[in-house]
Amino acid sequence: MRIMGPDEVVFGVDDVEASRTFLVDFGLEEQRQADGSLRFAALDGTAIRIHHREAEGLPAPLPTANSLRQTVWGVEDQAALDAIAEELSQDREVRALPGGGVGCRDDVGFEIAFQVTVRRPLDLPPERINSPGAAPGRGANQIGADETAPALPRTLSHVVYFTPDMERMQRFYIDRLGFVVTDHFTNTGPFLRPQANDDHHVLFLLQTPDYMQGLEHVAFHMQGPSELMLAGTRMINKGYESFWGPGKHKFGSNWFWYFNSPMGVHVEYDADMDKHDERWTAREAPSNAETSQLFLFQSTPKWAPMGGPPPGKES
Amino acid sequence: MAPSWQHLARLDEVPVGESKGFDPRGEGRDSLFVVRTGEAFVVAYRNACPHVSGARMAWKKDRFMSGDGRHIACFAHGALFRPKDGLCVSGPCQGQYLTAVEVAIRGEELYLRLDNLCHEGVMQSRKELEA
Repeated sequence: MRIMGPDEVVFGVDDVEASRTFLVDFGLEEQRQADGSLRFAALDGTAIRIHHREAEGLPAPLPTANSLRQTVWGVEDQAALDAIAEELSQDREVRALPGGGVGCRDDVGFEIAFQVTVRRPLDLPPERINSPGAAPGRGANQIGADETAPALPRTLSHVVYFTPDMERMQRFYIDRLGFVVTDHFTNTGPFLRPQANDDHHVLFLLQTPDYMQGLEHVAFHMQGPSELMLAGTRMINKGYESFWGPGKHKFGSNWFWYFNSPMGVHVEYDADMDKHDERWTAREAPSNAETSQLFLFQSTPKWAPMGGPPPGKES
Repeated sequence: MAPSWQHLARLDEVPVGESKGFDPRGEGRDSLFVVRTGEAFVVAYRNACPHVSGARMAWKKDRFMSGDGRHIACFAHGALFRPKDGLCVSGPCQGQYLTAVEVAIRGEELYLRLDNLCHEGVMQSRKELEA
């Protein structure tokens, strides 16, 4: 099954304007759609789509209050789309969608869809660093710290679900859609990679009680760690609420910075994720602070006392 | 000992139906928030979701309310809380409560009670004031 990764994550929200404000400030490009929904796109065309929760034609909500309505997976070509439709038609209704895709539910009730990918190939520079012993990434007089540099999400990286039945859910993605487990958190869930993407994960599952079913977060790849820091710092300076980060994960090696959002899920910047192929052997570890973060920074606006000691105290 | 109070804001800085975060201890983050539930009514809670220890709840500075304004929301995982008592009515911490903080309106001003609070940060700010 030649799935490349998430093309679009669809939400039904109670506050469209707040979501718009957040996603534009996050660095995504607003694209108003003919059906009244708003698309917020990364540089390669992958996107978050926002509808009002009572909009007509929206996939049914989950049994919980989570605002996720659908995950649209991009596949390599029409043959890949046909193969998925044929496979899933064996035991469920697969609907033809406007625009040529197909939609259905996975085995634990998440609405999913598949389409020939909208991902445009990117041809962009990497983060350039100078490292002693290696050829300079930046030549003489090329400045690395540019406060005015754009910091725009390049592509939708991955989605993470709270699932009430992790075993059933992972079997669906592995057995029916050909996802591969790259690493595994014991008692939490697997990191999954589809066949047409070498990223460490495009999907991660967290086992939770029924009443939490939904999307935990959606992540976008940035150019590199510096751009992630720049984008996240701009969010902090605008008053947005950091949930976790900045830091660097162990499994996947990617840098991370998670923010609360008006959709009631986290939206993550990530950068510099590991790549894998079929020669990789999955690792396993318990899920805790020690195994999930190689290191963690937290921003603080007060980094030093300014203007002398407080009244009545000696310095 | 008579209760001591710290001035937080003018009441009209928190319009009816809206919320505002406060940092009485000067920690560089809002440790509590106030919701103006009526013309002459306010409630206040720790900015800490009972679901994930200490998780901050707003999606942006001062934005603690759901889109329809009927609930306090945690924008980490979408939990909804009843403003009047902080009970989580939907989401991952359903049935649990936010930690209330005592505030009072005096005239046109809003005050935070500094003693008898559950909030460690606020307790420390009282000690600093007394020092």
